[in-house]
Amino acid sequence: MLKIENLHVAVGDNKVLNGLDLEIPTGEVHAIMGPNGSGKSTLAHVLAGRPGYEVTAGSVTYDGRDLLALEPEERAHEGVFLGFQYPVEIPGVNNVYLLKAALNAQRKHHGLPEVDAFEFLNLVREKMKLMKMDESFLSRGVNEGFSGGEKKRNEILQMLVLEPRLAVLDETDSGLDIDALKVVANGVNTLRSPEKSVVLVTHYQRLLDYVVPDHVHVLVRGKIARSGDRTLALELEKRGYDWVTEDETTPRNYALHDKTASTANQDAQFRGDPGAA
Amino acid sequence: MSAVLATRIAEDFAAAAHASGDLQRQRAMQALTERGLPTSRDENWKYVNLRPLEKVRFTPATGEPQAPVTAQDLPAPVAHYCRYTFIDGVFAPALSAPTPNAGVLVKSMKAAAARANPISTPDLRFALLNEAFATDGAQILVEPGTDCQTCVELVFVAATEGKAGASYPRVSFHVGAGAQVGLIERHVSIGSDASFINCAVDVSVARDASVKHYRVQQTGARAIWFDTLTARLAENARYQLHSASLGALSARSTVHVQLAGERSEVGLFNVSVGGKNQVHDTFALVEHIAANARTEQSFRGISAGRARVAFNGKIIVRKGAHGTDSRQSLRGLLAGADAEIDVRPQLEIYTDDVRCNHGATAGKLDDNMLFYLLSRGLDRETAQRLLKWAFLEDVVAKIEVPELRRQIEQSLAGQLNEAAALKELL
Repeated sequence: MLKIENLHVAVGDNKVLNGLDLEIPTGEVHAIMGPNGSGKSTLAHVLAGRPGYEVTAGSVTYDGRDLLALEPEERAHEGVFLGFQYPVEIPGVNNVYLLKAALNAQRKHHGLPEVDAFEFLNLVREKMKLMKMDESFLSRGVNEGFSGGEKKRNEILQMLVLEPRLAVLDETDSGLDIDALKVVANGVNTLRSPEKSVVLVTHYQRLLDYVVPDHVHVLVRGKIARSGDRTLALELEKRGYDWVTEDETTPRNYALHDKTASTANQDAQFRGDPGAA
Repeated sequence: MSAVLATRIAEDFAAAAHASGDLQRQRAMQALTERGLPTSRDENWKYVNLRPLEKVRFTPATGEPQAPVTAQDLPAPVAHYCRYTFIDGVFAPALSAPTPNAGVLVKSMKAAAARANPISTPDLRFALLNEAFATDGAQILVEPGTDCQTCVELVFVAATEGKAGASYPRVSFHVGAGAQVGLIERHVSIGSDASFINCAVDVSVARDASVKHYRVQQTGARAIWFDTLTARLAENARYQLHSASLGALSARSTVHVQLAGERSEVGLFNVSVGGKNQVHDTFALVEHIAANARTEQSFRGISAGRARVAFNGKIIVRKGAHGTDSRQSLRGLLAGADAEIDVRPQLEIYTDDVRCNHGATAGKLDDNMLFYLLSRGLDRETAQRLLKWAFLEDVVAKIEVPELRRQIEQSLAGQLNEAAALKELL
């Protein structure tokens, strides 16, 4: 479904992704782990088409099409969904309106009529129940005054309503207590099917206890340093990321070590800009 | 004031039949001549476009407008409000449906009525112009203790071309102690869209009274609209002024509220949307004279095309007005590369023990919000319109008359070139 080849991405003068290769077959769940500043969120944002990221080399193919040539909204229409690490608050735009506008935009793209108001509300209510969200949420502004946990649930709710074919969830588990984590994981598992793929970007393997991935990749300094099955995540949890970075012995990686200084700069920059982190 | 303009006004005044022998008008004219109209060099008038005045005939429009105005031309009435319509500032009984509200007296002011407060500040010079020329207006007297929360609707229709004559809407609104009143005031154009309108509204709210005043400026695309509103609040009085500026080529509103009684409260809620080459300028001054009074002021303005939208919110806390609590939230949104937005909070404090918060922002649409909506599949245009809508909504939502709010929301949606996609929101 998704094929990323030799992807190089820069943010300003910083090279964040440095020749990333990754293939996500249809129906699989892949976890992408890695230390701070390794490029995980950049990857998620590039896939969704956020401005400010310059692709300097490489390609991303989605269903045989050049994903990078599509506008963000076209990617959404084609079934790509980004779950934000920091969902944006939009006071004055209510949740139910956004959900409906988003769903109708997608339907319009596929030549379908607008969703029936009654069916739509039933659909949303059903998904809200799954996400253990209160009815009052519908009339509130998008993420307005939501707690961190509520924002993340809202992201998953949107995902369940839009039913994307490729969901990229950027640290959807961060800031969740254990109960909320289970609810979110349950939401993600509901989406799992042979036709859909999920990319889970995460720091910790905690989420992977509940959403069991088919593959785990470790991103270090802008490229995949190691891939494996779910036991890789457990190993990382035990031994820390240093284990992967120290274990790199190929000559190519010596070159990467030379970039340590600029990577450190990236870290600093990302901390100042939650949107890019 | 340019010498040419001063001479023109003086000539028009001399030619106006109603002016002769009227001492009050002559005094107003004299005061105006002494002070002169403002120019763009005046600090509080620098955003307004005064040039169109040079082509105006200041004599009040007389006689029937070229295209007769019918009830169908007027905005849809709001339930339970008694409507009084004025064409070019003159009461039109045929287009009015005044049903008596107990305790509320509404009169036509054919003979110039004395203002409750003499005009003393130099920013109110257009009110002097109104006083010199106005031939009619609405005088609303509310008896103490009256409960008339859905009360009076005034519709001021400008129908005559500015070159032929001016429109001078005039309102004198006096609310007795403990009364509760709702007033809707609309300004629209019918027939010519190039009228000159100079409006003067004088409000007084007696102790313990509560007033909700809704103003909608929706005059024609080439109209020149000048406006002066003064209000004086007594002890424990509450006054809410909601204004929506939508129409006109050049609109200027000068608001001066005096919190003269202890614990009086004023809320000023202003929405202004300008596009094309419109100029919308508001200067709102709140003067805290008595102690423990409160001000809440919110402005949301959007400027698109080559428009200029300006809001100058000034709060003066006089000596002795301790315990003053004022909050200002002024926000402007630039929605075009050639548009201009000017948002300016000003505070002058002459006493201790006050709490004055102010926040002012002017900027473009938030890129993070925009990307969030795009990532959900909304097309760029819809996303931008939605965000503009959301920007205004917290102030529009304060309008407590549902029908009026819907009408304003529909007009705003139209202003934002948005009829279809936002329909569901309304």
